Order: sequence, then C-alpha cells, then structure tokens
Amino acid sequence: MIEVGPAAFMGLAAVLFTLGLYGAVARKSAVMVLMSLELMAVSVNLNVVALSRFVTPTEMTGQVFAIFTMVVSAAEIGLGLALVLAIYRQTRSIELTTMDSLKG
Amino acid sequence: MAYVALIPLLPALAFAVLAPLSRAVRNRMRWVGVAGVAGSLALSFAAFAAVWPGGDEGEATYRASASIASVGGVDLALGILLDPVSAVMLIVITVVAVCVQVYSLDYMRHEERIGWYYAVLSLFTAAMLALVLADNFLMLYMSWEVMGLCSYLLIGFWHEREEPRKASQKAFLTTRVGDVGFAIGLAVMYATTGSFAFDVVLGSAAGWAPGVATAVALLLLFGAMGKSAQVPLHVWLPDAMAGPTPASALIHAATMVAAGVYLVARALPIFEASGIALTVTMVIGATTALVGGLLALVQFDLKKVLAYSTISQLGYMFVAIGAGGAVAGMFHLVTHAFFKSLLFLGAGVIIHALHTQDMREMGGLGRRMPWTAATFGAGALALAGIAPFSGFWSKDEILYAVWKGHHYVVFALALAAAFVTAFYVARLWFRVFMGAPRTLAAFAGHADTDHGDEDHGGHDGGHDESAADRRGETRWPMVLLGVITAGIGFSAPFFSEFLGHAGHWPDPMIASVSMGVALAGLGAGWWVYGRRAGAVDTEAIKARFRPAYSALDAKIYFDAAYERLAIRPFIRVTESLAVFDRIVVDGVVNGAAVLWRTATDLSWGFDRRVIDGVVNGTARLSRSAGVALRRLQSGRVQTYQRYVLGALVLLMLLIVVKGA
Amino acid sequence: MTETVNGVVFAILAFASIGGAIGMLTTRNVMHAAFWLLEVMVAIGGLFLLLSAEYLAVVHVLVYAGAVSVMMLFVIMLSLRRREDAVRPVDVSIGGAVLAILFGSIVYIAIAQYGDRVAEMPAEAPDTAALGELLFTRWALPFEVASLVLLVAVVGAVWWSREVDR
Repeated sequence: MIEVGPAAFMGLAAVLFTLGLYGAVARKSAVMVLMSLELMAVSVNLNVVALSRFVTPTEMTGQVFAIFTMVVSAAEIGLGLALVLAIYRQTRSIELTTMDSLKG
Repeated sequence: MAYVALIPLLPALAFAVLAPLSRAVRNRMRWVGVAGVAGSLALSFAAFAAVWPGGDEGEATYRASASIASVGGVDLALGILLDPVSAVMLIVITVVAVCVQVYSLDYMRHEERIGWYYAVLSLFTAAMLALVLADNFLMLYMSWEVMGLCSYLLIGFWHEREEPRKASQKAFLTTRVGDVGFAIGLAVMYATTGSFAFDVVLGSAAGWAPGVATAVALLLLFGAMGKSAQVPLHVWLPDAMAGPTPASALIHAATMVAAGVYLVARALPIFEASGIALTVTMVIGATTALVGGLLALVQFDLKKVLAYSTISQLGYMFVAIGAGGAVAGMFHLVTHAFFKSLLFLGAGVIIHALHTQDMREMGGLGRRMPWTAATFGAGALALAGIAPFSGFWSKDEILYAVWKGHHYVVFALALAAAFVTAFYVARLWFRVFMGAPRTLAAFAGHADTDHGDEDHGGHDGGHDESAADRRGETRWPMVLLGVITAGIGFSAPFFSEFLGHAGHWPDPMIASVSMGVALAGLGAGWWVYGRRAGAVDTEAIKARFRPAYSALDAKIYFDAAYERLAIRPFIRVTESLAVFDRIVVDGVVNGAAVLWRTATDLSWGFDRRVIDGVVNGTARLSRSAGVALRRLQSGRVQTYQRYVLGALVLLMLLIVVKGA
Repeated sequence: MTETVNGVVFAILAFASIGGAIGMLTTRNVMHAAFWLLEVMVAIGGLFLLLSAEYLAVVHVLVYAGAVSVMMLFVIMLSLRRREDAVRPVDVSIGGAVLAILFGSIVYIAIAQYGDRVAEMPAEAPDTAALGELLFTRWALPFEVASLVLLVAVVGAVWWSREVDR
C-alpha cells in the first residue's frame, strides 16, 4: 500500500484550484465561470478537511470550516445564478464579454 | 475466487471507458461494450462451475466484503456473495446481455448515438450483475437505482420524439413510487436489526415481531411491484416499449423487471416470517397474471403484446413465490428471460423489415422470414406452455406448487391466465406469420431479406446495403436463444437440486391439465384468427362484448385513474402554491425593499449637504487620475480578475521566497 | 476504515476528479461541463470519506452534486434559446493559462517545502456525533451567522430572479 500523506491531498487540491482558476479567467460563459468558482471552493474544502484530519483530528476545525465554506459557496452560487438569469433577461446573453457597460 | 468481483466490474469499466469519449470516437468503440460483457460471460461460467453442483441454498461458495465508510459507527459495506441463486442469475444475465449486444451491432448500426447506447447498456449490465452478487440490501438497493436510471436513459433513447420522452419519465416516476416503499422498508429493517447484511437480516427474520416482518415484507414487495410492473404499478412497462427493441429485450423482458422477483426470492425468510405477506404476493401475482394476459389480447402493437405478456409472466413468478414455490418462480424467471428476450429480438427483426409495429399490417411473414419464424415460433410455444419447450416446464412447476399449497382459487386464476396466454400467442402468430400479407410492405417490402435496415424511428438511408453479409450478427443470437429455449426445460429437476431443493419431473396430472389448457387456448386462437381469413368476424365479437372490450382497450382505466386521482390534483396543488408564493413570499420581499428605500431616502438628505462637499473636491482630484487609468478599465470582469490574479501571484511569490 | 489512507483508492479518486475538472474545462458543451462538474463533486465526496469526514461527504454530495448541479442545469436550460446554444467554442486564454500555471507552481513549491511537516495520520478520528457537538457548542455563534447568510442569500436570489413587471 502506498502511503498517502497530507502533501498528496494538498497537491490534488492545488491542481484542482489551478484548473478552476484557469477556468474562471478563461471561459467566457458566466455559467462556466461560476462552475469554475465552485471547483475552487471545493478544492479549498478538500485542503482544509485533509489538514484537519492530519493535524487537528480531535478538534475538527477544518471540518467546521468546510461547512462554513459550503454555506458561503452555496449562497454565492444561488446569488450568482440568480444574477446570471437577471442579466440574461436584460441582454439575452450570458457571455461575460458582452457585459462591459462599466467600461471607463 | 476474487475474479468474481470482476464480473460486474468489467461492464462497469466498459462504461467508464466509453462515457467520457466524444460521440464519434465512442461510436467506433462499441466493441468495448461487447468485450466487457463477453468477459463477464466467461467469468460467470467459471463462477458457475465453482458453485457446481450447488446444493444447500444457504451455503455461499464465495464471499468478500469491503467497508467503504463508517457513519456513526456503522459500516457501509460493499460485498459479494456467490451462491447457487446468484450463479444462476449471472449466467442468465450475461448470456442474454451478450446476445443483445451482438444483435444490436447490426440492429442499431445506423443510430447516431450507438456509442452511448452501448455505454448505457454496459452500465445496466454492470448494475444488474452487482445486484445479484450483492451480499447486503443496501448494495442491492444502489444497483437497483442505477438500473432504474439506465432504464430511463434507454427508454428515452430517441429523446427527440415526444413519445419516448414521456414514456421514460413515466417509467422513472412509476418505479420511483415503488422505490420509496423499498427505501422505507430498508429503514424499518435497519431499525430492527441494525444491519443490512443478508445473513444477519434473513437469519434473524424468524424472530421478528410479526407486525414488523409484515411491514418490511410488504414494503419490499411494493418496491418489487414497481420494478417488476405488477398491478397496479404496471402502467409504465407497455409505454417503455418506445425504447430500442434490443434494450427492451434485455431490460424490460429478461433482467431488470425480473429483479423484483429476485428481491422477493432473496428476502423470502422475511416473507415467511410474516405469512400474510406471502398471501398478498400470491394474490397480486395472480391478479397481474390474468390482467396482463387480458390486456395483451386487445393490443395491436407487436411490442405491447409482448410487454403485457411480460407483465403477466412476472405475475406468475410472484404467484409461485407466494405459494411457497420460490424455486419454481426462479426457474420461470430463467426460462422466461430466455424465451421472452428471444421473442423481442424476433419482433425487432420484423419491425425493421416492415417499418411498423402494427400487427394488422403484417401477415404471411412465415415464408419470407424462415429463420425468424422458426426462432420466434420456439419462443411462442415456450410462452404458451407447450411441451417440450421451456415455458411448459416452469409453468408446470408453478402450477404444481400452487396445487400442493391448496390454493385452488389461485390455481384456477393461473389456469385462466395460461389459457389467455395461449390464446394471444396464437393471435400473434397467425396475424404476423400466417395468412396473406395485409399490406404492400409485408408483401413486397424488404421482408425477403429477413432484415430491415433501420428501426421505425431511424433514418431512411441504407436501403441499398446488402443484407446477406450481416445476417450473422442478428441471426446467431436468436438461434442461440432458440436452442436454449427449446432445451433448457429438461434441466428442471436438476435446477431444483442445484438450488438445494428436491427435484422432480412433472406431475402427470398437472402436466396434462396445463397442456390441455394451453392447447385449448391455441386451438381457440386458431379458430378465431387462423382457420382462414375472415372465418370469424372479430369485429362482431368485439361488438358483442362491447363493455368488456372497451374496458380492456382503455387498459382497464389504470392510466385514466392515475391521471384523475394523482396527476391533476397535484397540478392543482402546485398551482395554488404558486399563488401563495406570489402573494405572501413576494409580499415579504417587496416589503423589505420598500423599507430599505425609505431608510436610504432619509440618509440621502444628510449625504447631499455634508458629504457632497467633501466628495466633490476629491472627485476633481480623482478625475485626472481616472483619465489616465481608464485605459485599464475595459468593463470586463475577467480583465479585472486577471489583475487580481497577477497581484496575488506576485504576493505569493514574495511570501514563498521570503519564507524560505 | 484503516488508519492509513488507501493509496489505490486515493489514486482512482484523484484521477477521477482531475480528469473531470479537465473534462469540464475542455468540453464545448456547457451541459456536458455541468455533468463533468457533477462527476468531480462525487469524486471529492469519496475523498472526504477517505478522510473519515462522513458527515461532510454526505452533505457535500447533497449540496454540490445534488442542489448546485441541478441549479446549474436549470440556469443553463433557462438561458438557452436553442439546443445548439449549448455548444460554444472552447475559449483559450494564454494569459490566463500563464497566470494559473504560475500560481500552481508557486503553490507546488510551497507544498514541496512545507508539505511534509506532518506525515502520520492520527489514529483516532471522532465521528459525526462529535462534530455535531462541536458545531453546536464552540461554533454555535458562527453557525447561526451562517444560517443568516443563507437567509439573506435566499432573499437576494428571489429578489434578483423575480419577473420584473413593467
């Protein structure tokens, strides 16, 4: 059996976070960007839970934090999707490139 | 023996390989699905050989389990249990699955999504194999649900069209009603024993309070009724025929619908502890056997006749289990799986050749399609219960079990169902294969090639292809199934012994009664449909029994009743909830907004006088800066995001470098 | 559950989650992307099980694989006028890729430097009951605040997505 330490979990979380980061920056569709944000939130959760298991197993701080992260990202995704819908009603498009009315 | 775990894993692996690919690649990779199932078939035979010669029912040849998690100190385990019952099921599933997959190579080859079809078919096979190998109810339930999903996906395979889409939803929701019962049953079971494992639950079942045993048994039965399309949850199965015919053969005839029977047979100790539950099982089975047979009488759609016949035959299996002949029920499951999938594959060939499923447009196919007619005939005789074809043996065992149990009313019902079965088999046979061709398609068509080119829902290309070079792919699976159908009946006594019960050859009295009834049914069918065209005016018969016929024609009002009693009230409730939403919830939200606006109005007055002065000064200053910086401001979120990200990278670089 | 994380299971789940994330980013169909995200979420749920965080695993699957994915699918379907709108070109952003890779490599350096300070998995892992107790004693106030956040988010989402009747 291969020994899997915290570094493996942190590495996995980093890879997922990086992929999410790239998606959030590169994709043009607002829904895709929200999905990438979810990916990032989840990778943070994974990191926190893994470290909690290895470092503070009895206090479970990481697990509690992960629950709060979930709450925040659930709220964020709900609001984000509502916004996407509202924007879609206005402009008939969910492409981020068309949303430049704040152009200076 | 660890290779047993590979039996469900191979098709699952095929799904995992196929699913992520792009459509074009997946379409070329369908051999992966065939290979996966073929591997399972080989391993299943190895497993069967290891179990041979069977014997004691409770004895497991191989078992292994792994805990995947423990929640609140309770282990959730995935486990494998190989005993004679599961070994038999493995053989049945893999043989039929291989036949169907090989047959589909040709049958579905013009489909744009054939790769996806193979992926789902593989996943289904994996789930079904996992179901029969499960060593606890939880894993059984999980596989059960995966099968439900695959069934939904395959019924709705042609989701561009309205009918399959509706049918898939109906199937999913109707079986879900049963599954809720199953889930509650599992919860009660767990609350009673603290475990899902077969040996713990079934071993202690005899000691449960009778009320608990009855509750669990009835809830499990309810789940089985949904999956196995028993009255009154049978309404989804005829509609499910909107899916591809080979998928119907595998899922809605041979395997998935039989999972309910398998569940009841597995949980038999619970049913025996209850007693009442056994009687309920038998009554529901007998009702279903008769109702399904009667409904099959009035259908003109070839596949729907077979679907109702499946419902009826599943009813037979429930009767057998309820009457205490679980082995007879399992044997009927096995024979039915072979002959019914054979009938479906034959129906597929006919539908391909004629581009219709309506039996009124068929006729005289016997001479044009000798291979199909021969194999279909074997399946039809088995279904009617004519010796020596397999259906006779298993039906005879069921009748014997019912007779031995002194359930004479049910015995009469079962005989009536047998008569009706033979009658609609004759109707089907004479309408489709005998007599004169009724339409041009049946007369000239492509019927002479024994193969059509596309399904009724497919495209109209490919007529010109030669039929001869791909005969094997559709024919040999049917021939194989036909041979099994013809021969497997003789294994009846050995089958019983393999499952650990005393085997016996058919009782002469019962056998002659059942044969007599079946022959009478066939004869009556011949009298009405077969003698010569128009000998008996079927319209006149219909007119004479108008009320009965219209009741059957309206599917005994099951669908109408559900529409009236469940669906429409539900829509009314949701509509009134929407009104509530608009008035109350929106009111609260709007009220909050109004409040907020008043508050901001108040603070705005203060803002204008005091803060504006300061702000205006600052504004002038920042405007000049803004003019310089506005080129940075594209208004696009992602541009800003990149600035933030760049800054973050720099910051982190600093931290890491400094930290080191 | 054994006390060390099963390396094979970890490898499978890691492969599944990374593969799913890549699939999500490279597919052209937004609908497929949502399904890939679903697959990633289920794999991460499995990783939580490996870390003996059963409660989190269940909640995670419920929230992300259940609610969030369904919501995504709803929004995608509501914002598509035609079926073909789901397919759009894969946007490649060199700048974004460079930044993300820079970010990733810095994190990698950090993990390589500090990651192995703890290697042993502690044997004892409190169960769900202990988590519940902690949540309602030591973390009671943040917990209530979190529920407030959710309430505000719900009201906000309703407010934004309501039909504007003009």
